[in-house]
Amino acid sequence: MKTQRVSFSVNGEYHEIPIEPNALLTNVLREQLGLTGTKYGCGTGQCGSCTVLVNGEPVLSCLTLAVAVDGGEIQTIEGLAKPDGTLDPLQEAFLDHSAMQCGFCTPGMVIMGKDILRRNPAPSEAQIREHIRGNICRCTGYNRIVKAIQACGRQD
Amino acid sequence: MINSRRLSWEFDYTAPTTVSEALDLLDQFGGKAKIFAGGTDLLIQLKEEKLAPQCLINITRIRDLNHIHADGGLRVGAATKLSQVREHCIKGGVYTALHEAISVLGKPQVWNMGTIGGNLCNASPSADTAPPLLVFNARVKLLSRASERTLDLQEFFKGVNCTALGPDEMMVEILLDPPRPNTGSAFMKISRVGADISKVSCAVALERKADLCLSCRVALGAVAPVPMRANGAEGILEGEKVEARLVEAAGQRVAEEIKPIDDIRSTAEYRRWVAAVTFRDVFWKAWRRAAGEEK
Repeated sequence: MKTQRVSFSVNGEYHEIPIEPNALLTNVLREQLGLTGTKYGCGTGQCGSCTVLVNGEPVLSCLTLAVAVDGGEIQTIEGLAKPDGTLDPLQEAFLDHSAMQCGFCTPGMVIMGKDILRRNPAPSEAQIREHIRGNICRCTGYNRIVKAIQACGRQD
Repeated sequence: MINSRRLSWEFDYTAPTTVSEALDLLDQFGGKAKIFAGGTDLLIQLKEEKLAPQCLINITRIRDLNHIHADGGLRVGAATKLSQVREHCIKGGVYTALHEAISVLGKPQVWNMGTIGGNLCNASPSADTAPPLLVFNARVKLLSRASERTLDLQEFFKGVNCTALGPDEMMVEILLDPPRPNTGSAFMKISRVGADISKVSCAVALERKADLCLSCRVALGAVAPVPMRANGAEGILEGEKVEARLVEAAGQRVAEEIKPIDDIRSTAEYRRWVAAVTFRDVFWKAWRRAAGEEK
């Protein structure tokens, strides 16, 4: 198995690293780059906690080979807040609505929340629930997550 | 599942930029290489150690495989993302059953990764794009170094995760005929939760004149080793005046002609029962759409 030199940007920062073909993007982000906001939950694409943006689109990093993202732009949850620490309005909405308990699903939920708001500035509850259907939460019962996303939409 | 956290199987990886390169690689590896695009099913199979390829060939960088040409009918490159196919069909108001199927396939993250060709070549019996493509009489173009052939989609599926692809062949395009007036289509799937593999899925495409059903194609997924047409149900409806009793009879016929099994998602008994109901609902939706009574 031949290691490849792979380059991509992560949250605006350029990286060029040797990666083995069988390395999963989740593990490269968490272990080689220390970005542990992206979670390993199921490893089979069912829970959505590994969701990151690749070239602006949400994907499941547990089912992505890091080598396949060569030349791409990755954004993880760590890249959402401003460099000075100012939170994104959606992150504020999650806080305002107490939309976290254990917080494990939250990075994936926020990324999908941002994604639907980008496409549809004022989504309905049904549209939000459809969009986050691939992100499982064991704690909150989803209501406050949906409310947070919807409230953030109405603000903009 | 041995380990879903990291892949232990070691393989070579290459990302050709032309179909020609990909075909050479397939030839070179003699069946020991595996084509992949989104990898949403392939990576799970690798984690489950169901596959042991020597090399993975990533075809998502081949421009020629990523296109949607609507010149009359539809020609879709095999590596076109499901999200693109969905958007195209929604915007154009065409092939409704197909974009309805993608909309309930997996989750939005999977639409951004998975490809239409991948859904077909993985050949899960429950592949959600298969019933719509079957009722639209889709054809698939397969290439190898030495050959080029186009198959009806029904002939492409051979068994569970098994297709007509030879070891040196790859799918390059999916072809659909142009939509005709006075036609309507619909798709529905039954699953345990919102983002789940189907227990039963059903697509109907029909042509209507007043209350006459001129033509009707019915396909179901997750109820046989391959996605299947329900020819018996079609025969009951084609050329007939449509009324509730006839549609119920066709639904019963669907329940009889499918070959479902018990598995972790459902039972054969339930699948037969719900297939009849689902077919009925899908049929009436397609029927109303064919007369412009519903979007």
